[in-house]
Amino acid sequence: MAILVNRETRILIQGITGKSGMQVTSELLDYGTRVVSGVTPGKGGQEVDTVPVFNSVSEALREAGPVDVAMIYVPPLASYEAAVEAIEVQIPLVHIFVEKMPVFDTARVIAHASQKNVRVLGPASVGAISPGEGKIGSVGGPAPDAVFSKGPVGIISKSGGMCSELGLLVTNGGFGQSTVVGIGGDLLVGTTFVDLLLEFEKDSQTKVVVAFGEVGGSAEVEAAKVIEEGKFTKPFIVFLAGKFAEKLPHDTALGHAGAIVGLEATMEQKIKILKNSGAIVAENFEDIPKLIKKVL
Amino acid sequence: MKLYEFEGLRILSKVGIETPFFVMTSDLDAVKQARKRLKFPIVAKVQVLSGNRGRRGGVKVCTTEKQLTAFAREHLGKEFNGEQVRFIALAEKVDIESEYYISITYDTALKIPFLLFSQKGGVDIEEVKKANPEAIIRIDFDPLAGPIKKDLEKIFRGSTPNRGRTPKEDRLIDFILRLWDAFWRYDCRLIEVNPLALRRAQSKRGSVNGEFDYVAVDAKIILDDAGLARHRDLDVLSKGAISAIPSQRELAAKKIDEEDYRGSAGSTFIELDGSPRGEAGDIAILASGGGASLLVMDAVIASGGRPANYTEYSGNPSREKVEKLTQVTLSRKGLSGCLVAGAVANFTDIYETLSGFVQGLGQIKPKPDYPIVIRRGGPRQKEAYEMLRRVAKKEEYDIHLFGPETPISVACKKMVELSNQFKVQSAKFKVNGKK
Repeated sequence: MAILVNRETRILIQGITGKSGMQVTSELLDYGTRVVSGVTPGKGGQEVDTVPVFNSVSEALREAGPVDVAMIYVPPLASYEAAVEAIEVQIPLVHIFVEKMPVFDTARVIAHASQKNVRVLGPASVGAISPGEGKIGSVGGPAPDAVFSKGPVGIISKSGGMCSELGLLVTNGGFGQSTVVGIGGDLLVGTTFVDLLLEFEKDSQTKVVVAFGEVGGSAEVEAAKVIEEGKFTKPFIVFLAGKFAEKLPHDTALGHAGAIVGLEATMEQKIKILKNSGAIVAENFEDIPKLIKKVL
Repeated sequence: MKLYEFEGLRILSKVGIETPFFVMTSDLDAVKQARKRLKFPIVAKVQVLSGNRGRRGGVKVCTTEKQLTAFAREHLGKEFNGEQVRFIALAEKVDIESEYYISITYDTALKIPFLLFSQKGGVDIEEVKKANPEAIIRIDFDPLAGPIKKDLEKIFRGSTPNRGRTPKEDRLIDFILRLWDAFWRYDCRLIEVNPLALRRAQSKRGSVNGEFDYVAVDAKIILDDAGLARHRDLDVLSKGAISAIPSQRELAAKKIDEEDYRGSAGSTFIELDGSPRGEAGDIAILASGGGASLLVMDAVIASGGRPANYTEYSGNPSREKVEKLTQVTLSRKGLSGCLVAGAVANFTDIYETLSGFVQGLGQIKPKPDYPIVIRRGGPRQKEAYEMLRRVAKKEEYDIHLFGPETPISVACKKMVELSNQFKVQSAKFKVNGKK
């Protein structure tokens, strides 16, 4: 089953003629994912790896047919308009790969999307992969099979790199994954830990969810809440990174824009809240496969 | 980026918010000159990024020249709560009728901006939340529409018995609309005015006419770094990652990303040199990825090592960016190791980025003889490692390579062990050298 992406998923890529747009197109096609159209204003009529390019999203839909996902691969200050273009025509999932998108633009994109009943993944999201089924975004790069395999473990991480690292760790531990999702590390993101937990709850393939948590923000605390409320009932294993930063002054920002020391819950509070909710907190990153074994 | 109070006040002035007249000074001469443009009492305020400035003695109402000079002498160029004081603002004293608190920031769970208004100004909002939660009003904003005037009128005027024109409330609503203007126009992550002062407006002849206006006596603004690209004209000083004054390396690292948005390298660079805060370390860190970099730092510290810095590059930065970041990171003296570590990359070209590392490494003088540990995986990692082996042999670098089969934490532990051995050996060498 998996979530967000499967064998049937049809994709449109905005910014398809750019360097990363072209690269992701060929990676997706190699993986067998259906990229049906691309958009770059002013470059309509061209082709990228056999995928037709159009001047606008609505033109692409009219000419190449409907899509399930719009992937946004444009410069940061152009991503607001690109995302709104996809939201206006109600493409069900808008994946924003773009990093360094201003937070005000993100807030407005999310507000637009909720009016139109569209899900936003990102910004700064590496994408999502349902191993053996399909993928969106750049997760796994050109060789996703080197780290991901099909199975019962759902994976959530803000960080794209840690999606692959977790995939590899879990795969080497003898477990496959249902869907691996990078939600992005910005202050505001369209799809949160909680949103994904609720999706994983409905997914019969997923038996356990593993998450990579970070210093700052409230993602893990919100996740604990849905576990406590009984909305997520499967085992939830979480690892928290960034303990070193607790010694730094408040407001110190780390690599991810949302990883800000002192923003909302402290590390200690997060661990406590998670443990109280019944989540399993992994002390060491490498312990995760052992913990999966225990609950499966 | 966190702003100084005076930088924040300047932004507020741009949207028409009343701020006290102030003059910036950075030396005693300037204080003397500024004194001529102000009447006593003068409020002298040190400009630092840390909070609770007033409570720590950083704000003084001076009634004489002697007091003012003494205050300036005590603080200018000196350390205040771990930060060097570069500026003191000298401001007119505002006759405050009552004090409030007001702020706009983002709610990361609801993903919207919201406003907090508190009847109790001049004190820490966290304390008010505990002691007088009823004094705080929260208003959520739709980021597409911003605050709606009618809604604000309902909130602030609804309870007053006189439903007619209430100038005081109208002024407050006007203030809120302007504050919102500043918030989105300048891409703020936080904008906080505490205290927000209600001042009895004076007519030109100086008589009190019963009118009121609101004055932002203080301003705390944090700008969204991602928004800075569209505010190149904004006149703000570069800031360090931890303290107000950036180290040379922090400044140089930040510059790398300013010219090219593709991939990041050094946007976040934290110097851990023991001053003013944080422990001093001796292992240079070049981590990759926002998530993995946290894991790397935790793992080095858990193994007993001390990082000399925190920085990361990610999102497939160019070879040149990594080269520059390597140069900046390794320009630190007294290093006993260099750790290049990250997760299995998705789309970052490992060959390109590690080529940048080698180019940067080649420019470090004297040639690094300390151990270098590299742990990476992802596109073109094997090619990259072959290249590194060749370079290490030719240049006699002490490079230790680990692939994705080795956990990040194991590589970090190895780094700490090698760095400890290196320190023991160089100590021995020094002793022998003396003999």
